[in-house]
Amino acid sequence: MKNFWTRIVDELSQAWIVTLKDIKVYYLRPGMIMFGFLMPFFMFFSFSVRREMAAGEGMSRLLALTIFFTAAAAGPFIIPTERRLGTYDRLLAAPMSLLTLLLGKIAVGAFFAIVVSSLAAIVGFLFLGASIAQPALMIGGIIIGSFTFSTMGLIFGSIPTRNPGDVQMPSTLIRWVLLFVSGVFVPLAEMSTVARGISYLSPLTYAQDLMNHAVLGTGELALWLNLSVLFLSGILFLLPSIKLHKRGRVLGY
Amino acid sequence: MSYAIEVHNLTKIYPSSGLEEGFLAVDQINFTVKQGEIFGFLGPNGAGKSTTQRMLTTLLTPTEGQIQVLGHDLAQDSYPAKRQIGLVPEESNIYTELTAWDNLMFTGRLYLMSKTDRTARAEELLKDFGLWDKKDVKAENFSKGMKRRLSIAMAIIHKPALLFLDEPTPGLDVQSARTIRTLIRQLSAEGTTVFMSTHQIEEANQLCDRVAIINHGKIAAIDTPEKLKQTFQQVQSVEIAFTLSAEGLEEKLTTLPEVSTVLKIGDKWRLYTDSPPDLLPYLMKFSEKENLDIVSLNTLAPSLEDVFLQITGQQVGSVSEESSQQKADIRRKKGKQ
Repeated sequence: MKNFWTRIVDELSQAWIVTLKDIKVYYLRPGMIMFGFLMPFFMFFSFSVRREMAAGEGMSRLLALTIFFTAAAAGPFIIPTERRLGTYDRLLAAPMSLLTLLLGKIAVGAFFAIVVSSLAAIVGFLFLGASIAQPALMIGGIIIGSFTFSTMGLIFGSIPTRNPGDVQMPSTLIRWVLLFVSGVFVPLAEMSTVARGISYLSPLTYAQDLMNHAVLGTGELALWLNLSVLFLSGILFLLPSIKLHKRGRVLGY
Repeated sequence: MSYAIEVHNLTKIYPSSGLEEGFLAVDQINFTVKQGEIFGFLGPNGAGKSTTQRMLTTLLTPTEGQIQVLGHDLAQDSYPAKRQIGLVPEESNIYTELTAWDNLMFTGRLYLMSKTDRTARAEELLKDFGLWDKKDVKAENFSKGMKRRLSIAMAIIHKPALLFLDEPTPGLDVQSARTIRTLIRQLSAEGTTVFMSTHQIEEANQLCDRVAIINHGKIAAIDTPEKLKQTFQQVQSVEIAFTLSAEGLEEKLTTLPEVSTVLKIGDKWRLYTDSPPDLLPYLMKFSEKENLDIVSLNTLAPSLEDVFLQITGQQVGSVSEESSQQKADIRRKKGKQ
C-alpha cells in the first residue's frame, strides 16, 4: 500500500514537472499567444461592437470565451510541436504513466486559461464596470471550465501527427461550431427549441450558463447541472485522448 | 548469464493507411544483449533499426513478439524498465528554449532524482562534456555537437543501467564524435549496457563487443566484429596506389586473374580477391607491363564494412527498397492475424 501511495505522489510530481516545463517553453510562443490569448478577445470585440449589451453580460461572455478558447488551444499546439521536435519521445519514454503525462498537459492549458480569464475578469471589472454576483463561483467556474476545455483540446493534440497545422485546422473549426451553438452570442432563452436542443450537447453551453450565474447571479440551467456536466465532460474527454495516444504508438508517432 | 535485453519473435507491421499497403518493418527477430556489453545494431536506412529501438524503448507497440528489458516484460509492466533506461534519439531532442542546466534539471526531476543528486550529477556531466561554461545559455544557441552532448547528458543523468543510442555521431565534428565514443567506452567500463543503432560501420567496429546486422527487417548476422570478418574471408582485398593513373585502368585491373571486384578509393585501387598472395605476382607483372610505379601496396583483411556490404548487398547509406518478398511476407502475416 505504501508503494502505491509513493507511486501516486511520484506520478503527480512528474505531471507537475511536465506542466512547469511547458509553461516555461510554450506560454510565450506565437502559436499560443495567437490562438490562446488574442483569439478570444478578438472574437468578443468583433461580436460586441455596436450591440446593446449590459456590462455584466459582456463580462460573462468574455469569461466563457477565454476559458473555452484559451484552454483548448494548448493541446493542439504543444503536443504536435513536441512530436515534430522529438521531445515528446522523451516524455513517453520517461518512467510515468500515459495518464500522468496527459494530466501534466491538461494543467498547462488549464493554467493558461485561468491566467487569461483572470485578465478578462479584470478587464470586465475595471473597464466595463461589471459587478460580480458570486466571486467564489466565478473562480470555481473558471477553474473547472479551464480543466474541462483543456482536456477537450488534448483530444486534438492526441491525433497522431507531427504537423501542428494538421491539428489546428479541425480543432479551430470545431471550436467555432461549438461557439455558435452554445448560447455565447445568442442567449439560450432566445434560441428556438431545436437550437436549444443542439446547444445542450455542447459543454460550452454549461460553461456560459455557469458564468451567467457567477457574474449576473442568474442562469437558464441549474447550477449543479452546469458543474456536473463540465466535470463529467472533462473526464469523458480523456478517453479519446488515451485511445488516440495508444493508436499513435501503433502507427509510430 | 543475465541479459539486459531479450527479444523473441519481435515483429512490427505498420498498419495500412489510405491507399498505402501495410509495411513489414521488423520480421520475427530474436536476439539477446548481455549486461555490460556494447551492442551494435547495424543496417542500411529503412532496414528496421529505429523501429526495433523504438519498440525496445516502449515508444512503439510491437505487432507480435516479446521484449524483456532488464528482466521486465515490457508488455506486462514497462515502469521498472523505464526507470533504468536512457534514450538518445537520432535527432537531439533537447528543449532549445531552456538552458543546458534547466534541461538537465527537468530530466533529473522526471526521473525522480533528489535535488542534491540531480544538481551534483548535472554539474559533473556538464563539466565532463565541456558545457559547464555554457550552463546558463539557452540550448538554441548551441552547435550541433553541443546539442548532441547535452542530449546524451540528459539521457544518462539518472545513471541508467541500459543506454539506447540512435546514430550517436553522424554529422558531428571529429572532436565531438571522439568525445562521444570515449564516453560510450567509459559507460561500458562502469557497467552500463549500451545498445547502439548505427550505419557507421567503422564506429561499430571500434566500439562494439557484438553487432547484429539487420536487413529488410530480419537479422542477417549476429556476432563479434572479428568473428564476422573471419566468416567472410572471400572479401579480402589488396589495396594499391600508382604514381600515375593510366587510361582505362579500372577495366584492365578487373581483367586480372583472382580479382572479383575493383573499387577506386581516393587515389588508391582496392581489388577484392579470395587469395591476396596469388594476386600479388599478377599485380607486379601488370605494373611492369603498363609502366606504372607502385606507391603503396597493402593486403587487407575484410573490414566490417565489407561484411556489411556482403550481407546487405548494397552501399552503406542507400535506401533499401521493399522487396517483393517483403510484400509477400506482409500478406502471409496478415493472413495469420
